[in-house]
Amino acid sequence: MATEVAGAHGHDEPDHLAPYLSPEAGRGIKGWLLTLDHKRIGLMYLVSTLLAFFMGGVFALLVRLELFAPGRTIMSAEYYNRAFTLHGAIMVFLFIIPAVPGALGNFVLPIMLGTKDVAFPRLNLLSFYVYLFGATFALYSIISGSVDTGWTFYTPYSTTSNTSVVSMVLGAFILGFSSILTGLNFIVTIHKLRAPGLHWKRLPLFVWGTYATSIIQVLATPVLAITLLLLAAERTFGLGIFDPALGGDPILFQHFFWFYSHPAVYIMIVPGMAVASELFATFSRRAIFGYFAIAMSSLGLALVGFLVWGHHMYTSGQSEFATTLFAALTMLVAIPSGVKVFNWTATLYKGSIVLTTPMLYALSFLILFTIGGLTGLFVGALSVDIHLHDTYFVVAHFHYVMMGGTVMAFVGGILYWWPKMTGKLYDESLAKKGWFFVFVGFNTTFLIQFIMGSKGMPRRYYDYLPQFETYHKISTVGSWLLLVGFLLTAWALIKSIRSGEKSPPNPWGSAGFEWQGTESPPVMQNFRVTPTITRGPYDYHLCSDEELFDGFPEDAEK
Amino acid sequence: MASAHADSEHAEHAGHGDHPPYLAHHFDTPEQQFDSAKLGMWVFIVTEILMFGGLFVAYLIYKGQEPAIFIEAHNRLDWKMGSVNTIVLLFSSLTAALAVRSSQLGKKNETTMWLTITILCALAFLGIKYVEYSHKFHDGLLPGRFFTAHLPEHAHNGHVLPQRASMFFALYFMMTGLHGLHVVIGMSILGWVLVRNHRGQFSPEYFTPVEIGALYWHLVDLVWIYLFPLVYLVG
Amino acid sequence: MSDHAHAHDDGKVHAHVSSFFFLCAIFTALIGLTVITVAASRFDFGSANTIIAVLIATVKATLVATFFMHLKYDKGFHALIFIMSFVFLGVMLGLSSEDVDSRGRVDTSSTVRILERRGEQAPGGFVPDPRGVQAREHPTSGASQPAHH
Repeated sequence: MATEVAGAHGHDEPDHLAPYLSPEAGRGIKGWLLTLDHKRIGLMYLVSTLLAFFMGGVFALLVRLELFAPGRTIMSAEYYNRAFTLHGAIMVFLFIIPAVPGALGNFVLPIMLGTKDVAFPRLNLLSFYVYLFGATFALYSIISGSVDTGWTFYTPYSTTSNTSVVSMVLGAFILGFSSILTGLNFIVTIHKLRAPGLHWKRLPLFVWGTYATSIIQVLATPVLAITLLLLAAERTFGLGIFDPALGGDPILFQHFFWFYSHPAVYIMIVPGMAVASELFATFSRRAIFGYFAIAMSSLGLALVGFLVWGHHMYTSGQSEFATTLFAALTMLVAIPSGVKVFNWTATLYKGSIVLTTPMLYALSFLILFTIGGLTGLFVGALSVDIHLHDTYFVVAHFHYVMMGGTVMAFVGGILYWWPKMTGKLYDESLAKKGWFFVFVGFNTTFLIQFIMGSKGMPRRYYDYLPQFETYHKISTVGSWLLLVGFLLTAWALIKSIRSGEKSPPNPWGSAGFEWQGTESPPVMQNFRVTPTITRGPYDYHLCSDEELFDGFPEDAEK
Repeated sequence: MASAHADSEHAEHAGHGDHPPYLAHHFDTPEQQFDSAKLGMWVFIVTEILMFGGLFVAYLIYKGQEPAIFIEAHNRLDWKMGSVNTIVLLFSSLTAALAVRSSQLGKKNETTMWLTITILCALAFLGIKYVEYSHKFHDGLLPGRFFTAHLPEHAHNGHVLPQRASMFFALYFMMTGLHGLHVVIGMSILGWVLVRNHRGQFSPEYFTPVEIGALYWHLVDLVWIYLFPLVYLVG
Repeated sequence: MSDHAHAHDDGKVHAHVSSFFFLCAIFTALIGLTVITVAASRFDFGSANTIIAVLIATVKATLVATFFMHLKYDKGFHALIFIMSFVFLGVMLGLSSEDVDSRGRVDTSSTVRILERRGEQAPGGFVPDPRGVQAREHPTSGASQPAHH
């Protein structure tokens, strides 16, 4: 692999020690589209997933706007069904699954491991193009009639709906391969390419989280692939595997779908947890509490996540025995999640907390994920779920985990690694204003949905009874605050690219490996000298002042 | 990284004077590269097993629901052709393993021979599959709404299959079809390895593509090892 | 880099080379097992048919994986992940079929939910009759709605 880049030419070419963003490291559009460098691929992932986030966000705003008042507000029921389906499908398949591993993982993971690249650079580029290819299918589906089945594609409706289901399903199928390739690449990289001295007990928690995520991606995604293939074949050839008229079982589709999609929610949240662990350690200026417990709980979530999928099917006609069994198994998930939350809290205790914007996002993550996780126990409990199933309570729970959890950590992670990625500092006070609107807007939008749901407002409904109007209005206003927050954050980042100050190599004073021995932005091969690891990633007590405050002479003097 | 700058013995340029052309720049040693490629392939094999596994799970569940119909339907498959195909695939697996062996020993012409035999076996497998498929098409033994074997004109030895037997053929075609697709992919991979071998790119020090291609081919064999008895023999 | 440095220090590839006759012997064993599984399928062992077929197939698969795919001489981790794929497949099969097997269907003659295969009355279930439990105790009196929505 990658012989074109370096290989036989040796390592003396100045290109490979040039900053990765500079023209010397690869010129023009070709230098980006054909690059094998994990940092450039990571940035391309970042731009694409943020575009997907924007698109999914527009659909979310449309859905909320339609629900602002009862009856028809801005669109017909038909288009409303498509809008919430596209919001879900885009956010899940195009944004949240590839976001953290594809963008942040690709950029940071090899640097944390002290290596020049991921194990298979060409496969890495391929996974990005497979992602784009799948996204093209999804876009084609949107313009050619769209989809109104909900992102879950439940049969039998998805086999009879006259919208463009097949192209969306094939899009998700292809995106699955992109996810598998990324996961495979990371597993091999973590196993085989660690720097000298970087043994398993010194791995940063971001690496542990990405490792757990990759395991889920590799084990679960193929099942989604075969499920979607069967669904596409069912629509195209009338296969009958999920069609009761031909002896098929629509509930088996749900089993197959959730065998992937429940582990998939851990593909979404575990990277968020991984980012948060790094943020807590850096901005508390201390060794993370319970390092081993946090690392193992990521793996625990990966494994337990495969045993609980039936809790999405309590009311779908699954047998009573199965629902009881799944309800019992579901409670197991609380253990690794709880382990993490308690350890993060203990990390904060007596730490020297610095309230930078990334830390504010990390703290929001902790609070919102805890709310999302605890309400997960409500809907995981069989008896309670019979009442709450398919209401806004579930919507709120899911968004507290996915948006309050993963998106908060993702934005926090972008801001945290931004100086490393771009070599520029951003305007903290502007970003903090952005965070404020995001946090307040998020809670305004979704906290009210718990109440609405527990009072019986069903999800995915186009219209509602008058008693829910106030709740819906508050929630819609919240969505506008969220928009303001994200726009402010985006503006802070754009401003940073255009006129941001140059960043020192380690602007946060972090002991993390990715900040040590690299420049901001890093050179093409990450390190001028292959690093040797002699301590853990959070061993602040073993760090010299020069290591923590390199480039900040005034800080080092203190 | 604490001692990144102090530790000069790991410096970038040290020890790379003999960097062989097949070794990518981000690997330190051929062994590291070989191990990475193999681990990657094994992880990929895991994904393939789970993908086929989904179909096997569906097959076993529906078989458990309608055992009588499945047994009746599987009698319409040709177990003799299935057995011949099993032997063809097992033999191709042997020749693939032998190709790796000769490649490890640096016997280029022998490698070419074993790889060619493997690819020919794959073609033979697909040929036999084609004959089987055309019989099924002729008899209306097709999945879902194309299934016509319940109509009197397709009576076999005087009796017709129940309409619900279409489920068996839906699964049969999905499983063998997906497997057939893997045979084609495996053949292409081995063809590419054959070309590279012909160009003399492999040596006892570097035979990774042969090894990886053969692993993929054995996977195709593994799937068939389960598919054949479950679908053709016990129904 | 930490994983590979223990056995050989020279960084070269050290892979096991199997002997020609050994590989042929494995092939012969595989053919023998194929003959056995075909022969076994000519007899009817009832519900054990599938189990026998899967067992023989597993022996064959083990031979292929161990010797043709070199797992015996390979890193233990590769064998572990290979086996894990079957474990997770087992989880999928086990938990899905556990639902399907214990799911009741309405028996049209007696209008109660029964377990498909064993013919026993299914546990629990949504009985649309307002008398609920009673309806299940007196099968002929209630529960005419199909429970399989």
